[in-house]
Amino acid sequence: MSPVFGKLTWAAIPVHEPIALATSVVVILAIAGMGIWITANKWWPYLWHEYITSCDHKRIGIMYIVLGLVMFVRGFADAIMMRAHQYLAVGEGPGYLAPEHYNQIFSAHGTIMIFFVAMPLVIGFMNFVVPLQLGVRDVAFPTLNNVSFWLNASGALLVNVSLFVGEFARTGWLAFPPLSEKMFSPGVGVDYYLVALQISGVGTVLTGVNFVTTILKIRAPGMSYFRMPVFCWTSLASNLLIIAAFPVLTVTLALLMLDRYLGFHFFTNDGGGNSMLYMNLIWVWGHPEVYILVLPAFGIYSEVAATFSGKPLFGYRSMVFATMVICIVSFTVWLHHFFTMGAGADVNAVFGIASMIIGVPTGVKIYNWLFTMYGGRVRFNVPVYYLLGFMLLFVGGGLTGVLLAIPPVDFVVHNSLFLVAHFHHVIIPGVVFAIFAGYHYWFPKAFGFTLDERLGKAGFWCWFVGFNLAFMPSYLLGFWGGTRRMQHISDPSWKPWLAVELVGAFFIAAALAITVWQLLYSIRTREQRRDLTGDPWDGRTLEWLTLSPPPHYNFAVLPDVHGEEAYWHRKQLAIEREELIPEPNYQPIEMPVNTPTGVIVAFFSSLCGFAIIWYIWWLAILGVVGAFAVFVWYAWRDEHEHIIPIEEVIANARERRRIRMDALHTVSQST
Amino acid sequence: MSDIERADHNDLLDVAPGSPHDSLLSETLSYVVGLGLAVLLTAISFWVASTGSLWGPGVAVGLAVLAIAQMGVHLVFFLHITSGPDNTNNVLALAFGVLIVFLVMVGTIWIMAHMSANMGPSPEMMNLQMQH
Amino acid sequence: MTTEAATIGMTHSGSEDTGLGHRGPESKSIVVPYGFWLFVLSDIVLFSALFATYASLVHATDYGPTTNQLFSRTTAAWETAALLLSTFVCGLALIAAKRRNMMWTQVWLVATGLFGLIFLIFELREFVEFIESGAGPQRSAFLSSFFTLVGCHGAHVTAGLMWLGTMMAQIWAKGFREHILRRLLCFTIFWHALDIIWVAIFTIVYLIGTLP
Repeated sequence: MSPVFGKLTWAAIPVHEPIALATSVVVILAIAGMGIWITANKWWPYLWHEYITSCDHKRIGIMYIVLGLVMFVRGFADAIMMRAHQYLAVGEGPGYLAPEHYNQIFSAHGTIMIFFVAMPLVIGFMNFVVPLQLGVRDVAFPTLNNVSFWLNASGALLVNVSLFVGEFARTGWLAFPPLSEKMFSPGVGVDYYLVALQISGVGTVLTGVNFVTTILKIRAPGMSYFRMPVFCWTSLASNLLIIAAFPVLTVTLALLMLDRYLGFHFFTNDGGGNSMLYMNLIWVWGHPEVYILVLPAFGIYSEVAATFSGKPLFGYRSMVFATMVICIVSFTVWLHHFFTMGAGADVNAVFGIASMIIGVPTGVKIYNWLFTMYGGRVRFNVPVYYLLGFMLLFVGGGLTGVLLAIPPVDFVVHNSLFLVAHFHHVIIPGVVFAIFAGYHYWFPKAFGFTLDERLGKAGFWCWFVGFNLAFMPSYLLGFWGGTRRMQHISDPSWKPWLAVELVGAFFIAAALAITVWQLLYSIRTREQRRDLTGDPWDGRTLEWLTLSPPPHYNFAVLPDVHGEEAYWHRKQLAIEREELIPEPNYQPIEMPVNTPTGVIVAFFSSLCGFAIIWYIWWLAILGVVGAFAVFVWYAWRDEHEHIIPIEEVIANARERRRIRMDALHTVSQST
Repeated sequence: MSDIERADHNDLLDVAPGSPHDSLLSETLSYVVGLGLAVLLTAISFWVASTGSLWGPGVAVGLAVLAIAQMGVHLVFFLHITSGPDNTNNVLALAFGVLIVFLVMVGTIWIMAHMSANMGPSPEMMNLQMQH
Repeated sequence: MTTEAATIGMTHSGSEDTGLGHRGPESKSIVVPYGFWLFVLSDIVLFSALFATYASLVHATDYGPTTNQLFSRTTAAWETAALLLSTFVCGLALIAAKRRNMMWTQVWLVATGLFGLIFLIFELREFVEFIESGAGPQRSAFLSSFFTLVGCHGAHVTAGLMWLGTMMAQIWAKGFREHILRRLLCFTIFWHALDIIWVAIFTIVYLIGTLP
């Protein structure tokens, strides 16, 4: 150990591991290539001003979604490596991944998919959509929003750095002790995991505070609670859960860090430590986490169902009620993740019953979506494909969840491939399909043109087929005794099933490839699919009031809300009267200034994090001091807002009115 | 009037948590009374913990009640959390927080206390059993 | 509604905020402290996880020192007094700041800091004493959880004092501007919340923990 470099030596670079080395080289070249491409096109000033330092919720939302989609590629690469290896490592086969490597891959796969794919994507959608739907200009704390994003990105960066400097954790996505303690995981892998999650966790809690404040305190005039779109309600519930659950994650990971770095005895085998306490605490966070992900997904489905059925959402109040019930009950079920840990029948029974109860409000929601579509004139655009795929598949996944909620059943299939099938069965149709639905639905609002429909539908079918092939066999394998996370599978009769699953993984790879191709193709042919009016789907909520993309400040004047579905009524009134509402009283608009605080604080956090992982103490202190200095410098500034002159506001607004009037005349001419 | 200016007039209708209001005397009084009550409750707590004149198992409960009362004093007199309609969001947020704290603490303690439910006699007990 | 109160917009006139949303977005004077209140609640959840850990591990002494052997109620009493007085004068500082009185604001803020420092000194001396007598956090799970729970609170107090110093400097340099007053309000919320957590600590750790 050196005072300057800590534990870091040249041996940290994986020159002896061909796969890790090759991947690292490819990734570094790709990043360098992108950097060169951006520099050659002189895009840095644009990116810096329009995205990196932007406090605009729309830009931040886009950055989150880009982060999530890029990390999806990494997480999926891990997945297909695992499937390929499992197929090859049956019976006598050795596979191509040593156990130490395989263990890192499944740990990275889970960690990345939950923390750096699903969370950023869901948070990205909430960022982009919620202020628009609430009819306001931005979130409560725009600068904090920017900081939150960059802290998340910092965590993602550290996880990726572990690929070529050092190693990642081999302890699964939750790093259970005692395996994750220093004694059994002396390397830097678990430290990468802990530090990355702590940094991004801070960002996430700040997002939670930001959005709860926004939804409760910052809405357009007249928008009472029961006039908010359902997506805003689900975002409220999700962010309340973030505020409630993430502090517990912070504590749990911190306790493990104290054990590893300072020799404390929270979860060690000696000194009175209790590793079961870790399981308990981590799942206190872990269960609400999955609801943090799935509730906004349900919100997306609600928006899609209403819009593409041409009808208001069925049972708005019961949807709201169900959402808030799920929010509260999700905090009372966490023990079902460790029924087998031995808390006894009484404790298991209580949590088992609670876990079954939580299925009820979700069932209510399924019926509401069904009845929304029933009697409506359903338009089968890509988002509706994903909605229907979700409704068909999620019920199955949910039912296996209720099955697992029965402790005696869980004793048989706990930690088996049945469990793996269950959680992918709920998370892929639940969260991933919603993300793709939302991606297609709101893409035109963000960029001014729609995505190609045919490619979108092809992508959906690849996902649908691929998911079923890749995960349904695992239910059987789990019943037959297949344990999760096994680098080697001893029963050769399972090989055909693993082959089916590998084919499924290839279909999913195709779906991702089609998605990338669809984006490139849609950009190239965007003039054919311009969203000229700002309302390509005949929408019902306020985001469709603006042009696509909306101006920086969203609305020239905050809309007056007079009922549920604020935009729909306003639109129908305009169509009826063949005129827009009278011009409102325009004012100059104050908007927050850009700031480099977020990216600089994240830079110092990454530096500090890397230093802590490698025991480079002087650098860690430098990182902390740097972050604090930036914070104080930011706190000292006098300019918080800039003013958008009234001329610009009026010009943009009148342009919008002109376009809308044209659209109105087109509508009235055709009827 | 811009949105911001219009909104600033509106905060007559809502109150931030922790923000005092009204005259100098009444505001200061709020803190003085709070301090007095807090000192009283603290002193009683220390006395309850050290006196032998209360029924043993009741002492812990009594201390918990006194602590909760003192937290209430802090919330009302220092943080100005009241039950008025202008404070609804503040109270709801607090209630949510209290619920989560309760679930986390009680849930964890209940679960961890039961973790040895399926275990046999502990090593010390085994030794005793084998010694006779 | 008095004029000075109207100036910083921190009053109410008894009408409802029932979330009916009739008025549009709330002003920053409402939004900022509310957001901070939510953050404080998340911090309280953080402490509840630490309390739960402490409660689970309090008897895991590994045949080492126990609560009754270590804890001094006298120290706890002094710490309680210091923190309570600190929280009290902090409130007085806010009252002075509302009335734009630079001298009294700074005086009460200095007092807040001094009482907070006294609290920290008592706590640090206690920690050092334990460590030197072989009862450091590495000795047992109970001690790990004690040092972490109480130490985390102490770390929050330390961070608060750094924030306090920055606030005093800002007020001195820039005067009683809107956003600075909002921050001061947030600081007082934080400081009062820390005392609430201390009530839980001295009750659970030092009093209930040392019952016979």
